[in-house]
Order: sequence, then structure tokens, then C-alpha cells
Amino acid sequence: MAGLLMAGLRQVRIDYPTVVGLVLASCLASAAFAASKEYRYTVGPHANITVDTQYGAISVKPGSDNLVVVTATFKPENVEVDQQQSGNRIEVASHLLRGTDQQTGQVDYELMIPPDANVNLRSSTGPLSAERLRGDLTLEGAEAVVNVRNVEDGHVHVRTMGGPITLVDVRNGHVEIASISGDVHLKSVTGPLVQVSSGSGRIFYDGDFGSGGDYRFITHSGDIEALVPADVSAGFRAHSMLGRVQHDFPLKPRHSRFSEEVGRSFIGNAGQASSEVVLRSFSGRIRLKQQ
Amino acid sequence: MTCSDVQRVLPEVIDGDLNGAFGSDFETHLRSCPDCSDLLSDLKMITTEARQLAATEEPSPSVWPQIAAQLRAEGLIRDQNSESAAGGPVLVQLPPRPRWSAWWLAPVAAALVAAGSYVISHKPAPQFANQQAPATPGAAPAQAPTTVPESPAATTASVPAATPEQEAKKSTTPTGLPAPAPEATVEPLPSAEDRQFLSVVSTRAPSMRAAYENQLKAVNADIRETQAYVNRNPGDADARQHLMDAYQQKTLLYQIALDRIQ
Repeated sequence: MAGLLMAGLRQVRIDYPTVVGLVLASCLASAAFAASKEYRYTVGPHANITVDTQYGAISVKPGSDNLVVVTATFKPENVEVDQQQSGNRIEVASHLLRGTDQQTGQVDYELMIPPDANVNLRSSTGPLSAERLRGDLTLEGAEAVVNVRNVEDGHVHVRTMGGPITLVDVRNGHVEIASISGDVHLKSVTGPLVQVSSGSGRIFYDGDFGSGGDYRFITHSGDIEALVPADVSAGFRAHSMLGRVQHDFPLKPRHSRFSEEVGRSFIGNAGQASSEVVLRSFSGRIRLKQQ
Repeated sequence: MTCSDVQRVLPEVIDGDLNGAFGSDFETHLRSCPDCSDLLSDLKMITTEARQLAATEEPSPSVWPQIAAQLRAEGLIRDQNSESAAGGPVLVQLPPRPRWSAWWLAPVAAALVAAGSYVISHKPAPQFANQQAPATPGAAPAQAPTTVPESPAATTASVPAATPEQEAKKSTTPTGLPAPAPEATVEPLPSAEDRQFLSVVSTRAPSMRAAYENQLKAVNADIRETQAYVNRNPGDADARQHLMDAYQQKTLLYQIALDRIQ
């Protein structure tokens, strides 16, 4: 048999150093692959789950009502995953070992959690994503891309240095977003309080501002644009110190302690003005557009 | 062996000097984990010092129960449960200890907000501040649509919308002296706090240094730009609010760093 193999090797003209090199390379490559590890926890209603990693993605989706499943993908020679459960509270954190950097110390987490659980996600690099949940969400990162979709009844807090932040279909909770340079895109986001502040990032809102909510969008140099339906019911107050301000709505005048400055600000009501909308920028442009 | 495993057996290691008894996993973990190896050497040093103290001045036997009670009250030790082999108290596992402390970032962040608030709230509102008459119902009809030219010249010249008289007032102080020139053009050297901040980032998260440095420059530029505007328009409440917002952006940067890089 061995003789046949050797004869075959001779026929295809593969020399031994090449074979040995290929075997070694494949061994090294397999050693460099990340491994996946799964952690399971049984929890009650409104569990509190925290995942903290220096580098890597965290993604959260709804699973069964009393089970939390955390799948961590990482290189065990570079990172440890510390995890503990205290009653209804679960904490999972990456722990970089000596000499580990952003390339080697990445841990990607995938969570399946009860939809009513409260979640805190932290990663410097991200991305951070959460969808189809009903609990409170806190997402924090340095340059993390943030995506939140289909969240109801829970508060959503996002705090990043940069990286785009996107919220789609978020309802009935407080939304507070703070970023230094990240663009913020809100689509169909409504609630009693929606507050966004960004330094140089752009804020884009596409929705109807709901009913009875307080909306505050603030930038330093980023533009603010709101795309709203013709039948929107909101009182608007917009002001840019150095940028231009424009709208294409027939706003009804309203009494205010703030004076209107043509081209720099506008104040007025649309419909019954059931929500209050404040758009404020230092040097960015502000536009209120009809859908 | 994980950090939790190591910290669980540390009291036994310290009591019996049993490093070898826990096998190569224990040693391997200590070599790779600076937190645990530092913790072990600290505990060994404390134990050694305590033994030397005991040899020289033995306190009253009643001291130890009192210390144990105090440690229990502070939650630092607890009694082992019944299934444990040894009956003595064990150390309560504490959160992983950072190799260095970034404690100074918190007061710096708080100081930024306080400084911003102080500067903003203590700016004297001069008599010539461009007060605008309060709006009356129906006095300000809606503009639809409203736009202004976007050229820089237009924006800088017309903000806030000023009459020639107001422009003249802007160029002088209430005492009639010329107003100081705008100071937003030259980028000053970073402050001591900013240098320390970047130094810590370089040590702890070198791959993030460029990002933090760029963001720090940006927020400092925003603060300078807004401060210059407030200096020119000290009675403008909106501008002061924007200055406060700019300081809050810097606070946010420090807070993110505080949370992410320790």
C-alpha cells in the first residue's frame, strides 16, 4: 500500500518538502482558528444580561422565554471568557491575556435571550446589534457600528465615540443616543422621549414623531434632517447658530419665548402639535422635509 | 484554568504555599495572566509581612475575631459552605483588577462639566446683548420654505442677524475698548489632562490612540469655536447652551475612555 502511495506521489511529481510544508501550514492554520464556546443559563422574567468585550461583535436576538444562550467565538490562547450568573443577572466579559491586541483578542458573541430581558452590550470596536426585544437596551462602544431593530416598550440607550448608529422600528420607550462623531439614522422611532446628540455626526429622522413625545436632536457641526408625513402632529422649534435652516411645511405660528430668525430658525405647529420637536445645531444645516 | 479558578484556590496557595499542588494549569495561567500573577505576589508579600509582624508583636487573640467580623461586614470574606473541605473563611471574588488605574479620568470628566458650567454661567451679560423682542402670537408668520445662502462669508457675516449698529457694538466692549480678536484660528497645545489622557490610551489601548486623539482634537476645536462665539455674543443663551453641549461632548469622550480602556 505504502509502495503504491509512493509510486503515486512520484507519478504526480510532488516532492517531500512540499508535502511536509503543506502539512505544517495546515496545522498552523488550524491552530490559528477561533473556537466557539457556548454558555447556557436559566433565568426568570426580566433578566439582566451584560456582555463586555474589548474587541469584537455582539449580536442579540430573541430566544426562548427562560433561557439565555451565549455563544462566544475566540482564540483561547489569547482570550478568556469570564462569566457568572447571580440569580437573574448574568455577566459575561472577555479577558485579554498578556500580549493580546486588537487582531488576536477579538471575541464575537451571539446571544439568544428571552425577549423581555434587559441587555447591556459593550465593545470598543463592535458592531453591536439587537433586534426583536422588549427589554431595556444599553449599547456602548468607542468606534462601534450600532444597529437596533424592532424594539418595543424598552428604553434604548446608546453611547459611542464614532461609528454609525441605526435604529429602526423602536417604539414606546425612552431613546437616548450620544455620539461624538457618529451619524445617527432613526427610522420609525417614536416614544415619550427621543433624545439624540452628536458632535459632528449627522442626524437623520424618518418617521411621524408619534404622539405625546418629546424629541430633541442636537449637533455641533452635523446636519439634522427630518423627513415626516404631511399629517404629522408636532410642534417644531429649530435653530442653527451658523448653519441654514429650512422647512417645507405650512407651520402655524405659535407663541414662544424664542424669537424666530429667518434662515436660522423656525418655530411653528403642524396638526395638533401632540409631540414637541427641538432641532438644534451650532453650525450644521437643519432641514424639515415632507415625505 | 480561568481567573475565577485561580482566585478560588489562592487562599489555599497562600496558606500552604501549594503552587505546585494545583498542577501545570495553575502555573500556565499565572504566566499568561498579569492580573492573577500580580494578585498572587501581592498576597504572598502581605503574608510574609504579616508573619514578620507576628514574630515581633503578637496582638491580643481577641483582635482576629474582630478583624474577621469587620471583613465579613464589608463583604470581603464569607464562611465556606458545608460541602467545602476546609471550614475557614474564604476570600470573596472581586472584579478583575486593572493593571493600572484610570481613576483620575472620572474627576477630570466631572471637572470639565463643572468648568464648562462655571464659565457659561458666570459670563456677564452686557447691556448691549442683542435682545430680541419676545414673540407675540401671530407676530411671526411661518416661512415656507425658508432658506439663506450657504456661503461661509454669508454665514459669518450675518450671524446673528445684525444691524450696522449692532455690528459696531460687537466690536467694542461695554467700556468702549476694542473687543478681543476671535481666538478660534490657532490650535493650542493640548492641556496637561489631555496629554495624560492620550498617554494612558497609548499605554493601554495603543490601537485606539489615533481614534481617541482625533476625537479629542475635534471636541476641543468645537469648544474653542463655540467659546469664541460666546465671547463675541455673551448675551446669547443659545450659544452658551451650545458651549455646554460641547463640554459635554468632551466629558462623553473621557467617560467612554474610562469605561473602555481600563
